Amino acid sequence: MPGQSTTRTWTRALSRRRRALYISSPIGLGHAQRDVAIAGELRKLHPDLEIDWLAQHPVTAVLAEHRERIHPLSAELASESAHITSESGDHDLNAFQAIRRMDEILINNFMVFYDAVESGGYDLVIGDEAWDVDYYLHENPEIKRTAFAWMTDFVGWLPMASGGEREAYLTADYNAEMIEQVERFPRIRDKAIFVGEPEDIVPDDFGPGLGPIRDWTERHFDFSGYVTGFDPTPLIERREELRQELGYEPDQRVVIVTVGGSGVGESLLRRVIASYPEASRRVNGLRMIAVAGPRIDPASLDSPAGVEMRAFVPDLYRHLAACDLAVVQGGLTTTMELAAARRPFLYFPLRDHFEQNRHVRHRLERYGAGRYMEYAASPPEVIAAAIAEEIDRPIDHRPVETDGAARAAALIAPLI
Amino acid sequence: MVHAPADRPAPATPAPATDAPAGREQTRARYPDLEGVAERDGGRIGFEVYGAGDPPIMFVPPWIIVHSRIWKAQIPDFARRHRVIAWDARGNGRSDRPTDPAAHGDEAIAKDLLAVLDASGTKAAVLVGLSSAVVPQIIVASEHPDRVLGLVLIAPSVPLGERVAGRDVPFEDVLETEHRWAKQNRHFWRRDFRAYLEFFFGEMFNEPHSTKQIEDAVGYGTTTDAETLGATMYASSVERDAFLGLCTAVRCPVLIIQGDRDAISGPSRGIELARAIPHAQLEVLEGGGHGPSGRDPVRVNLLIRAFIRDLGGPS
Repeated sequence: MPGQSTTRTWTRALSRRRRALYISSPIGLGHAQRDVAIAGELRKLHPDLEIDWLAQHPVTAVLAEHRERIHPLSAELASESAHITSESGDHDLNAFQAIRRMDEILINNFMVFYDAVESGGYDLVIGDEAWDVDYYLHENPEIKRTAFAWMTDFVGWLPMASGGEREAYLTADYNAEMIEQVERFPRIRDKAIFVGEPEDIVPDDFGPGLGPIRDWTERHFDFSGYVTGFDPTPLIERREELRQELGYEPDQRVVIVTVGGSGVGESLLRRVIASYPEASRRVNGLRMIAVAGPRIDPASLDSPAGVEMRAFVPDLYRHLAACDLAVVQGGLTTTMELAAARRPFLYFPLRDHFEQNRHVRHRLERYGAGRYMEYAASPPEVIAAAIAEEIDRPIDHRPVETDGAARAAALIAPLI
Repeated sequence: MVHAPADRPAPATPAPATDAPAGREQTRARYPDLEGVAERDGGRIGFEVYGAGDPPIMFVPPWIIVHSRIWKAQIPDFARRHRVIAWDARGNGRSDRPTDPAAHGDEAIAKDLLAVLDASGTKAAVLVGLSSAVVPQIIVASEHPDRVLGLVLIAPSVPLGERVAGRDVPFEDVLETEHRWAKQNRHFWRRDFRAYLEFFFGEMFNEPHSTKQIEDAVGYGTTTDAETLGATMYASSVERDAFLGLCTAVRCPVLIIQGDRDAISGPSRGIELARAIPHAQLEVLEGGGHGPSGRDPVRVNLLIRAFIRDLGGPS
């Protein structure tokens, strides 16, 4: 408006506090936990660091618990987790196509990110599987205006057999585009961190003629080791005490069944609870606790006598650390929590989910943790037999590292 | 088959048959606040309204081979600060499917545009259009300047500059070939309309790694049909001299966005259009094809934002 006075403020460079914008993927539950842990370690290295989070549900719930500061533009983000739920079926999620079919949400959210960075005075952006930020910065390198640290726990879109030739072509094309972007614009990712070790990388190629994923990833990433987001040591040391607190009797063998927070777990939950009568014949003192989560009505499940149905269990990780066996989906966070807590478990990757069936499974097999189960080949009697076989198996798998958050923070800290 | 342009070595690309749940629209970033139908001359034109804020922005549909979802990378972003109106031209989306060529002419579409402005209660708007939306946009801007605050003309399909070589294939003749543009033929459409769509959109999004944009657009194309689309081949279009006259009457600010590898309209159209509207701002996208709003949405959205900011509205 002509004639109207305006005030603007500019802070001299050396008078500025260090500022970072953190974007944590809302797909799955694990990124938020590990990112809060990494943020904590970063603050140890830069006590003056201010962190804003551009975040959405369910990340915001974790951030609120930790009193982290959420950027007001977060309210303008379109929901990725609702989209992923809408793409899920009966123990089925084609994760590659689901992310591909999220392109409208990703461009919307990138433009929100753009606005946050334009006005935020940030020195650094940290993106933990923030696909929109990484992709569109490579597509529009001239708009990058901060240092950028990229994190992921898998590299390479992989086709599932059910997708046929077409999916193999598409995943290779997506990988090729990513490789071209990173090699043409190495200045976009100032630091790329693989959350894991080189051995956790799948032995596959990116696609025909594109070379091995591991070789390329080792050349383009640093490695933080796994980031659990919590220290499992006290839980392991205090396990007997924990069992008492949670009301698990010494002669009880407790199986926890948990299928995550979305509705996609219902069919697995039904099958596992249907295995209880047979499993309890095989295992003395078997006690099964099934956690339905917010989207499944426990009353709708016709649970057999003896199965305890819960809608919600606070501090589920403590139950998982105290149980005798867990039955879970194939997501990285929950399975690695169990591996870190040194518990036996059965895991059922969602059908057509390339990350759970290939990347996560490869990593768990590297640790020697858990038993892979194929949902389609596991009627209740097979599940009962697996419960009986695994519940007493001695735990001898490779320990999960506990310094991942500190290692990740040490890699990021020099950027600010 | 999805066809890559001839000058790019193309790996064999298996058909996109089964990779999306059949017929289900993917989740949108934002859903309309209001859906309506404008009626004009017995025709029905479906539109959507999103968000609030001035100036209002209307996204004008191109050829009915697509519908308003072609703007999915723009609508939610601009609806954060503006009232956004998107509509389907008659022949696709939520509009009716006239097979009378008279419904598909440039003048008829311009009247439909005005009808949607009226029906949505929009006095004036910035008109953002792609490809064959541009002639109707310019008709409205020159004949009803009070309704148009600015024009954004992307990959304009206008009677200026040079037509893409090889596109002039007889539509009604029985041809002995199905090679490339020979697919733009009524008999081929009746045989394998989808194969035509895949060819067409492979040409439209000829940038490498455009599988998603091609698949989306093929999906939009399957919601019209060969007979309705065939009617557009006989629609009356504004001739060059008359069009130049309309251009000289445009007074509002104009932004033209033109890819230099546009294989549908040809790269010279936007350049000639900028000569015909001397106050227009021309943005050339090197390496860009005919659908930059889908393939390079960040660049296009930032250009539109800056254009609107310069009009004096919120940025």
